[in-house]
Amino acid sequence: MDIFETPLPGVGVRYEFEAESGDRVGLVVRRDGKRDLGLYDRTDPDACTGTLELSEGDASALAELLGGTNITARLESLRHQVEGLAIEWITMPSTGGLANHTIGDGHIRTKTSASIVAVIRDEVGVPGPGPDFELRPGDTVLVMGSEHAVSQARQILIG
Amino acid sequence: MFQDGGVHALRLVAAGPEGTGVILVELGIVLLVLAFLGRVAAKLGVPSIPLYLAAGLLMGEGGFIPVDAGEDFLAVGAQIGVVLLLLLLGLEYSPQDLQHGLRTTWQAGIVDGLANGAPGFLLGIMMGWTVTASLLLAGVTYISSSGIIARLLDDFDRYANRETPVILSILVMEDIVMAVFLPIMAVLLVGASLVQGAVAAGIAIAIVAAAFFISLKFSAHVSKVVHSHSRELLLLSVLGLAFLVAGLAEAAQVSAAVGAFLLGLTLSGQVADDVRTLMPPLRDVFGGIFFVFFGLTIDPRDLWPVLLPALLLAVVTAITKIGTGMWAARRVGIGPKGQWRTGISLIPRGEFSIVIAGLGITAGIQPQLGPLAAAYVLILAIGGSLLMRFAAHIGGPAQWREELASRR
Repeated sequence: MDIFETPLPGVGVRYEFEAESGDRVGLVVRRDGKRDLGLYDRTDPDACTGTLELSEGDASALAELLGGTNITARLESLRHQVEGLAIEWITMPSTGGLANHTIGDGHIRTKTSASIVAVIRDEVGVPGPGPDFELRPGDTVLVMGSEHAVSQARQILIG
Repeated sequence: MFQDGGVHALRLVAAGPEGTGVILVELGIVLLVLAFLGRVAAKLGVPSIPLYLAAGLLMGEGGFIPVDAGEDFLAVGAQIGVVLLLLLLGLEYSPQDLQHGLRTTWQAGIVDGLANGAPGFLLGIMMGWTVTASLLLAGVTYISSSGIIARLLDDFDRYANRETPVILSILVMEDIVMAVFLPIMAVLLVGASLVQGAVAAGIAIAIVAAAFFISLKFSAHVSKVVHSHSRELLLLSVLGLAFLVAGLAEAAQVSAAVGAFLLGLTLSGQVADDVRTLMPPLRDVFGGIFFVFFGLTIDPRDLWPVLLPALLLAVVTAITKIGTGMWAARRVGIGPKGQWRTGISLIPRGEFSIVIAGLGITAGIQPQLGPLAAAYVLILAIGGSLLMRFAAHIGGPAQWREELASRR
């Protein structure tokens, strides 16, 4: 299934895909976490026949019902449990930083005490990547640690 | 600490100059009128900006409610309002949004500028205004109100629509153009000759470009310095920085508004998120004061002679905006109905038309510019919003053609 992504300047991002039934579905993820789910009109393909406005909580509840594994929400609750724990998703740049280098090259754990817990590549998650794991441009790296450590790790990762 | 502050405050009020009470009473009335009008606007489903403007017109000299003691405060408040409006506008966009906007919509930006600036400019020249004053009027008619439009798109649940990115990227483009336009006007308004003006404008553009580049490059550093978990400290540092940058920009004749806009762009990440939740109420209060103050500076009796030109200009530039929007939407493969919605959605003019006209008023170059801009914005802010609400019912050219064909 192809998902099209369009930036909405000042609002967030809009995703759009065609369901197997032929219905086209649009989803706006706003910067403040709110979501708008819309079903496109078949006679006027640019407008929605209706939209559903979801709060962040509604959206994760719906995701659970739909059978998605809701990583972000679980991480969020983890962050509330451990005071001072910072979790950040860092997208690898096309060049510079640790792009096209292995995780071990960066010595992130020894230098900053932050940990790389997972890497997401092409929508597939790699949990607990080892030091030999090579980071590629566009990979999303999940880093955990104290706020300071995570921001240092970010510097190393993106250069 | 609080007790101490309380005592100080008491002493300040007690020792306040003669007339402090009158100023407070007047400000109280002004703010309460705004509050009332805000409620009316929400009930009617129209933006509050035109109502605030109308309230300003009715107050002050020549109006029904005289306000004069608090005018000094309102003048400063209006300045703060402009700074906050532009600061938050800059915060809405990330530098990446701007880069993306520049890359994908620069052609639409040029068409937009020519089609909607030209009517204003020509009318100015026809009424015998100077080139500078006519250029300001071109700015007034060119720029759509991103505040009103973004709000209405949300109200009408149209964020998910496929034409919405086209609308938003045109608005981004206009804001970029404004960042270059304002400093040029600021230079021309000082009364430089065309050659001097061109040189100074080149310098102004270079400063803006440099600031834009710096904001891209050092965004993370600035944001880090400003960041704080305490809302009080965050608010103080952001406000302080905003006034400082705006003031320096004004002194360098780049215009305070542009300074604030660039600072807004520079702030990013957590700071931007926090400020976006913290600042809007403050912006709305001072923004309201700005619109009222603009109205206050205009004698409503001056509106009558410019009403007809304003109406004419409103009709023409509504049509040119529709044309621009439809053209831009068709280029990216939006269907006829979506094209029509795009065109209609770009009609409302608002805060930035007033900011541009305000520049001319401060410089005192053309006494008719203020009243004309006020009337124009009143017409298109209200008219444009209503058109947006009923866009689907009006149908659009494609539907009219169909109906015509079926009638034959």
